[in-house]
This record gives sequence, structure tokens and C-alpha cells, in this order.
Amino acid sequence: MLIYILKRLGLAVLVALCVSVLAFALLRVQGNAASALAGEGASAEDIAIIIRTHGLDRPVVVQYLTWLANVLQGDLGTSYFFKRPVAELIVSKIGNTVILAIMSLAIALTLAVPLGVLAAVYSGSWIDRICSGISLLGQALPSFFLALCLVMLFAIHLRLLPASGAQTWQHFILPAVTLGYYITPPFMRLVRAGMIDALSNDYVRTARAKGIPSHKVVLKHALRNALVPVVGLVTVQLGLLIGGSVVIESIFALDGLGYLAYQSIGYRDFPVLQAVVLLLSLVYVVLTLLSDVVNAWLDPRLRVS
Amino acid sequence: MGALLTVDDLRVDIATPRGTLRAVRGLTFSVNAGETLCIVGESGCGKSMTSLALMDLLPRVAKRSAATLNFADTDLSDRRKARRIRGNQMAMIFQEPMTALNPAFPIGDQLTEAYLHHKGGSRAAARARAVEMLDLVGIGSPAERLGQYPHQLSGGLRQRVMIAMALMTDPKLLIADEPTTALDVTIQAQILRLLRDLQQKLGIAVIFITHDLGLVSRIADRVMVMYAGAMVEEGTAAQIFGAPRHPYTQALIECIPQPGRTARGTPLGTIPGVVPSLVGQIEGCVFRSRCPLARRECESHVPTRGAEGHRWVCVDDAPAPALEGTTR
Repeated sequence: MLIYILKRLGLAVLVALCVSVLAFALLRVQGNAASALAGEGASAEDIAIIIRTHGLDRPVVVQYLTWLANVLQGDLGTSYFFKRPVAELIVSKIGNTVILAIMSLAIALTLAVPLGVLAAVYSGSWIDRICSGISLLGQALPSFFLALCLVMLFAIHLRLLPASGAQTWQHFILPAVTLGYYITPPFMRLVRAGMIDALSNDYVRTARAKGIPSHKVVLKHALRNALVPVVGLVTVQLGLLIGGSVVIESIFALDGLGYLAYQSIGYRDFPVLQAVVLLLSLVYVVLTLLSDVVNAWLDPRLRVS
Repeated sequence: MGALLTVDDLRVDIATPRGTLRAVRGLTFSVNAGETLCIVGESGCGKSMTSLALMDLLPRVAKRSAATLNFADTDLSDRRKARRIRGNQMAMIFQEPMTALNPAFPIGDQLTEAYLHHKGGSRAAARARAVEMLDLVGIGSPAERLGQYPHQLSGGLRQRVMIAMALMTDPKLLIADEPTTALDVTIQAQILRLLRDLQQKLGIAVIFITHDLGLVSRIADRVMVMYAGAMVEEGTAAQIFGAPRHPYTQALIECIPQPGRTARGTPLGTIPGVVPSLVGQIEGCVFRSRCPLARRECESHVPTRGAEGHRWVCVDDAPAPALEGTTR
């Protein structure tokens, strides 16, 4: 088990290093970094000063190692546009993204679990088809399209909810609903499959034989067993939500990491973009490592390979 | 003693792409209070379907019908009334103790569930009853067991837990569907002894379903032999084993290996032929395709012979001693 974890850890560190090289390269391949830093209409002397102060005249490998050492100490550089340290910027934005991710996940689960249970209990019937249809729609509908529809209905026509910003909890509702519905299908499918499997088990027949009412047999005896794999999917989707909400945060101008990434692309604010890319990639690396370890703990057969 | 359970013309039909599979074909029998009725027959003869039909636990594709389905003056065809009986006055244990308990809940929770549902009362009272029942089925330190999960128990212990669970509500009838088949031989003997002791101590009626005639001789008051979804012979254990009348019963008994009588090295007895397809009607005797005594009359309606105590379905009224030895 320990050897397995160490192997996985070693692999994760390698992946992280590769990601850091790519993130570092991002700042260099976009043309002349110094002239980008100096801005339009800068003189040749200004650019020369910037080259010297930023160490851009040194070999690339030295630049990379210096940058990496800084990153490891939490120094991610300074934003060109916001004129603030990137680390500080990220810390101020990540809260909104995490709130959005958790709200979306909660919405997805409150949708997916009842739909999946209904579909499994009435599998093959029209109820199953309706439930599966609702979830399939979530997968087929582009999230930006749903977002715009929701804004038109709830923000413009009904004037119930704000369309953009992140000032109050109401600002989170529309983006969370959009994202939550978008990630519902995989959860729903997993709950449905798990429930169909659980309902065919002998312990369900035992519970029925005891005279326990059907709803209790389904919701207690079967659902409890069907939810085990769902917990695994939650970790995966959480990573996806933290990294993948760029579009939604941008549409709703919700001031989170995704929106920050979007802005930094627009302003060619490369230190920020670099840091966001690095951070999101690392979130994935860590979550993958975590799920590997949890799986190995759940299933001893995995530890060998 | 009056009949506790009365079943008249019980049928179980399963729709299949090839036609209607008639798993149980008009079964009529009764169980008296406190007696053990064994239902015997080979795989697919409809004995398990019968037990599931009594408990209303048939899979969704199977349809149940009966002229009479009465338990202690309650009509079991009325599902609302049946729900109050099931798991309360009528309990069931199953073949596979390894999978019959829910892996996600401690056994204390599963033991008290039916009791709390049917009898009400406090959680503490239910747990006290659970401890009492675990003790009754011979499980040591029962109070500590309540917190354990099924995977922490062996197969034999789990079947004991299942029995304790069935007894929680003090049922009048216990249906045991091959309760010892999945256990190894020594545990089988223990569970069988336990069931017999409990039956005598508590005076509950038992429907014991098995394919093992050897077990039947040890526990049955009465025996019903089933073949292809129908009853072929029914009687007291003494009648069935002492003077079997139906050729199928005779052949089955011939197949039981007996220490001392069955010679070492000889092949075990078998009945030649295969069970007929259960799809559609079977005209005449269900056993005639494998019966060594089959003749023309067997193809048309076959009468049920004998008095109330001992019944068999055959064209022959007399015993058929000629059959002895032909199956070896």
C-alpha cells in the first residue's frame, strides 16, 4: 500500500513539474515579454530597464528555476493589470469559486438523486424515460445557452434575481443552477445504475419480507448502498467545477477564479493567467492522487498494479 | 387444530417471449397451526415460487392468482391486509444468508426494524427483544452483536441472525426457503436442529422448502411433493416415506443414498429424462414423460386419489412395487 502511494505521489510530482514548465512557457511564447510589460508606446530605454529588472536577459533555464523557487515560496509575481501580487489576487477570488462549486454540487445532487431513484424504481417505464430525458437535456444543452435563457427569464423578465456580480447570495443562484444542471447527468446515471443493482439484491427482498413499506425499502435499504460510488464522483466533479467554471463565471461576471482567468486573457495579464493555469492543474493533480489513494483503500486488488 | 393457512388453486404465471410460463399450476394445500409442512421437489418445480407467492414477494413479471388464499381468517389476496400480516404473523428466511442481510446497516438495526414497524414501542424495548431472540437462536454475547455488521459474521451466524429476525414479531408461520442449502454440512445440521427446537418450543407452523429428501425425513410432519409446478403427492412423513404412492415420489426416495444400504462405488440414483417445458398447458399427468409406468390414460385428465390425509395424482390407485430398483 505504502509503495503504491509513493509511486502515485512520484507520478503526481512529475506531472506537476511538467505543468509548471508549460505554465512558465506560457509567459515566454507570447512574444516579447518586456515590450508587453512596458505597454504600448514605451521607449527602447524603458524596455531595456524592464529586461534588466525582470532578469529577462538571463538563460531560460535560470529564469525558470528562479521562477519555480519563487512560486514554491508563494510568490507568483505581480499582475500587470491589477498592479497587485498575483497570490493575493487569487486568494481574494477563490472563495467565490468554491462557494459556486459547492452550491452547484448541492443543486446537482438534489436533482440527480431523486431522478435517479425514480428512474431505477420504475426502470423501463415512461417515468424512467422522463427522468432520463430531463438529465439528458442537461448534458445536451450548452451551459452558456441555458445561462442566457435563465438570465432572460429571471433577471430581465421577472426581475427576481441579479444577472451579474457576486455581492450577495442571490448573485450565486443563477450561475449555480446553470452549472448544477450541467453536471447532473453523470450523477443521475450513477444513482440510477446503482439503485437498479441494489434493488435486485437479496437484502431488498429480505426487507420486503419483513413487511417494511416500499418507500422505506427503497430509500433506506437500497439507496444507502447505491450512494457509495456517488461519493467518489463528487470529488472528481468538484475539481471540474473549480477549474471549469470559466464560462459561467464570465457570463455572470461572478468574481471568481474563472472570471479572473477570463479577464487576464482579455488584458494579456500573463502572470495572473499563468498562476490560474498552474493552480487549476495542481487541483487536478491533487484530486487524482486523492482518488487513486481512496480507490486503493476501497479495493485491495488495485494496490498491486 | 384448524388450518392456519389455506391455499386453493394457487397459480403463478410468468409472461415470457415464448408464451406464458406456468410456474405454479393450481396448487391446493393447507398448513395447520404448529405443524411442519415440507415442500419438496427438484429445481424449477415451483416450490420457491409458491413460497414467494404466499409472501407476495414475486418478481414484477410474475402474476399470482388463487381461489382461496387465507391466513388465520385474513384474505391474503387483499394486499392492504396482507401487508399487516407479512413480516409480522408470517415471516420468511431465505437460502443465501451471505446476501440476505443489508451490508450497510448493523444487525441490531435490521433486527429491530420489523418489530418497530409492526409492534411499535420504544427502541429500547425492541433492542431488548433483539437480544432475547439472538440468545434464543444460540448466539453468544448477543448485546454486543447488535452493533456488528453482516460482514463480521460467518454464514452460519448470519442464518441464525436471519432466524432471530424472523422470530422478532412472534410469527405464527415461518416460511423457510432452502435455509440450509448454502451452508456447509456441519452448520446445516446445527441450523436444522435449531429450527426443529424452535418449532417445538414456540409452537409455530413451518413451511420448509427443500430439494433434499434426507432433510425432510428429519423434520417434517407432513410432506408435499411437487413436480413441474403441480402437487403430485401429499401426506404425513410416515405415509410419504413408508408407503409412497406416486411413481415420482418413489423414484425420489430411491435416489437418496443411505449409509449402509447404498453400496460403495455404485453411481447415485437418478431419474431418467428431463422436466417438461413449463410454457403453456400440460395435458394429463405432468410426470408422464419420465414415468416408467406411463400409458395411454396418463395423457388425459388424471384424478387426485386418496383421502384427505394422503393424496396423490395418478391413474393408478394401487402402489407400484414394480418400480423399485428400476431407477438405478
